[in-house]
Amino acid sequence: MTQMIRMTVNGQPVELTVEPYRTLLDVLRDELDLTGAKKGCDRGDCGACTVLLDGKPVTSCMMLAVQADGHRITTIEGLGAGGRLHPVQQAFVDHGAVQCGFCTPGMVLAAVALLEENPQPTEAEVRDAIAGNLCRCTGYAKIVDAVMSVSQAAEVNS
Amino acid sequence: MSAEPLVVGKRLPRVDAIDKVTGAARYTGDYHTRGMLHAAMLRSPHAHARIRSIDTSRAERLPGVKLILTCFNVPRVLHAGQPEPRAGSLVRDQYILDSTVRFHGDGVAAVAAISPEAAEEALSLISVEYEPLPVVFDAYDAMADGAPSIHGTERNLVIPPVVIAWGDVDKGLAEADHVFERTYTTSRHVPAFMEPYICTVVPDATGRLTVYSSTQAPFMVRGTLSEVLGIPMSKIRVITEHMGGAFGAKQDLYQQEYLAALMALRTGQPVRFEFSRAETFISGRSRHPVTVELKQGVTKDGILTARQARYVANSGAYGSHGPGITWVGAAALGSLHRCENVHIEGLCVYTNAPIAGAFRGYGAPQAYFALETQMDEIAEALGIDPIELRKRNAMRPGDIGPAGTPFTNNQLPVCLDRGAARIGWETRKGRSGDLRGAEDLQGCVISDDGENLGGLARTVRGIGVACELHSATAYPETREIANAAVALNEDGTVQLRIGSADLGTGAKTVLAQICAETLGVCYEDISVLAGDTDLVPYDLGAYASRTTYIAGGAVDQAAREARDKLLKLAAAKLEVPVDDLSVQQGFIRIAGRPDAIVPIAHIVGPEQGAPAETITGQARNQPLNAYSFAAQFAEVEIDTETGQVRVLKMVAVHDIGKAINPAAAEGQVEGGLHQGIGYALMEDMVIDPRTGRTLNPNFVDYKLLTSLDMPEMEVEFVESGLGDGPYGAKGVAEDSLCPTAPAITNAIYNATGVRVTQLPVNPEHLLAAMRASANTKTRRRQVSSTDV
Repeated sequence: MTQMIRMTVNGQPVELTVEPYRTLLDVLRDELDLTGAKKGCDRGDCGACTVLLDGKPVTSCMMLAVQADGHRITTIEGLGAGGRLHPVQQAFVDHGAVQCGFCTPGMVLAAVALLEENPQPTEAEVRDAIAGNLCRCTGYAKIVDAVMSVSQAAEVNS
Repeated sequence: MSAEPLVVGKRLPRVDAIDKVTGAARYTGDYHTRGMLHAAMLRSPHAHARIRSIDTSRAERLPGVKLILTCFNVPRVLHAGQPEPRAGSLVRDQYILDSTVRFHGDGVAAVAAISPEAAEEALSLISVEYEPLPVVFDAYDAMADGAPSIHGTERNLVIPPVVIAWGDVDKGLAEADHVFERTYTTSRHVPAFMEPYICTVVPDATGRLTVYSSTQAPFMVRGTLSEVLGIPMSKIRVITEHMGGAFGAKQDLYQQEYLAALMALRTGQPVRFEFSRAETFISGRSRHPVTVELKQGVTKDGILTARQARYVANSGAYGSHGPGITWVGAAALGSLHRCENVHIEGLCVYTNAPIAGAFRGYGAPQAYFALETQMDEIAEALGIDPIELRKRNAMRPGDIGPAGTPFTNNQLPVCLDRGAARIGWETRKGRSGDLRGAEDLQGCVISDDGENLGGLARTVRGIGVACELHSATAYPETREIANAAVALNEDGTVQLRIGSADLGTGAKTVLAQICAETLGVCYEDISVLAGDTDLVPYDLGAYASRTTYIAGGAVDQAAREARDKLLKLAAAKLEVPVDDLSVQQGFIRIAGRPDAIVPIAHIVGPEQGAPAETITGQARNQPLNAYSFAAQFAEVEIDTETGQVRVLKMVAVHDIGKAINPAAAEGQVEGGLHQGIGYALMEDMVIDPRTGRTLNPNFVDYKLLTSLDMPEMEVEFVESGLGDGPYGAKGVAEDSLCPTAPAITNAIYNATGVRVTQLPVNPEHLLAAMRASANTKTRRRQVSSTDV
């Protein structure tokens, strides 16, 4: 017993028929081949599945796909344009903030959402914004450095 | 060639960073193929039981179910989960599926179905008749007479006791001015990598299998599948393009890949076997909980005269890396500080707990928790500065290290001095555990006579230190080897093929930097191929902190061979003596003619009528071992009302020979500190003491530090360049968390006067101990003042 959903994903309109019990994470990964969002725990604890729903970070494993009907989804694949990286992505590369990379898409999106709302966060605000994204490789140090560097660049440019 | 390296030692961006930040990097679960089946595992609700029968008939009739495997229809081959040469650090004690289950959650039957939902539903339709057996979860209980036998071994030992001894311990203890003796215990620490266990096996029409696996050791996976399933290695390809962390726990296999491969072969369809996060906890590998009984004798000046210890490791239901870990843990206990009379006994014990296995540090963190805590106790008791005590007992060049090879240099004193300066060691309180504070007074200290003696500080702070050393290979347990192949393309760019895996450590990046430096090309001109057993040369895998040291050595040698061939060819083409030539950043340079630079492409590229030259280098590296040292310092703050511990700052000074990529090396240490702090304060996989069920197989109840919990971290490298690895490098990956827990618990002692001998730190116990200590100390002060 399937249901039709219409949503915008990375700026493109998408129309899909899905079973109502499927999560947004599974639909993004299995139906749309957007595998950047990862399944780290499938119960909303780790943040590896983070995508932006109308610009706000959500754990897509805890959302039913049918709940995304009518909404705007941004996945990691939707950042950057024309081969250029989003400043947060570039900062992660430059600061050595990527190790195994499994938490990275979710972490980047959480940071992007923060900076949209608060272009010059303090370090405490950065740490708070990514507190729902677990990382086991980096100790968060270079991730925070990367996001702060984008914050400070914004300050310089403003 | 210039004296200052152009590529090595630089904080270059990783070769795969862009793939990962854009979501383009494909991990095992990101591969889809048509007709893919999904596997699910039925798990035992008993920690120890015999299986009398399994009825799969109802499950088989469920639409969408293609195949169900049980112990009754899979090959019965006893194996170790890894092939030789690593099988020597494990034991052959597992079958693909067995008719006895040995831990709560042990796999009993596996279903392959057209969807994950159908597979899950099929599990509920399988009936298993169990005959429960007596259970045992504690290592000492398992060794006692009358304990249930788990694998039919004497005293439930996985291997005979490991003994590391020299000198005469009884004589050394008799000669001592003071003897210290205590027991220390550590927890069930979980690697908790972000990518759960997963593999996808794709058969072709001839039965050749392509195995996409999240593994540290693709060639090991190929080898064990071949051995256990009886398939020639030429018919197995293992691919790990990207993987989401391992920390040691994705080397040896248990059940999953063998079952997926059998399903693929028998159905002719691709099979994905993905573990949930809960299954990754329960059926993964955790760090061995270890009890260390440690006794040391010292002179009044703090010189060690004897060390006697017993290291008792709880292996859980299967041996996995227990043997290697017990050896390394025992060797670590006999090491680090010079001692002429040593006797260490290592016992590795089966219990019905979940499987313990390899996890960053490989038995050493447990050993150093005990050893470095007791060194701190000795320092306190004798009134010697803890750093000074380490220096008085420092290993000297020529002393034999835990791998049986001698130390060539010891930078530990340098690490200690630099770390002490960074943490502000001189501000450390002279007398540990004075709980009374001048500010923020809250509560009070009451004497036994009911007298109010003054304020108890709301928070107290302390600083602690701990050291470690770790080797960079698995020698002597395994004779090491790594292979690398370098090929110059016609346009002067380079293909580097390495057998190692990159778990996220940055191995591909570091190896590309070594290649670029030695060969004389630009880092950006190297294309790295790794993690595909069809395409890269054989390598044992990424573990034991060996990749930079061993694989890096192979890359260096291969690049050197290619460079020498290139220069010989250039000498002939340019009609210049070969000794006048060098290559740098993609250009051949001629000594004495700074304007005459020739692109490599002009030497190797095709010309009209003449094909390109083939310049390759190939090397096989077989070094022995190298030791890295580290000193870590912790500053902690304890809330005297709640017993909660906060780490304010960690300083980590690591002697690693040479940081090939400083950002990557720092990243390793920062990540290691995250795990080490968790080990000290909050991480423990808890099992029900009655049933053996894992109680916290999730990230809410098994607590990892978040971005909000991390302290300030300062990481410094001592780069003596004296390591015998490429460019003087040694290892760093595991060293990063070996001393962290005792640095923190020694800091807790400095702050509170309470000695922590069990991990993780328990706030309630700490609180009670602080209160008791406060009263005791205050009473003593009262007594001494009246004596005057």
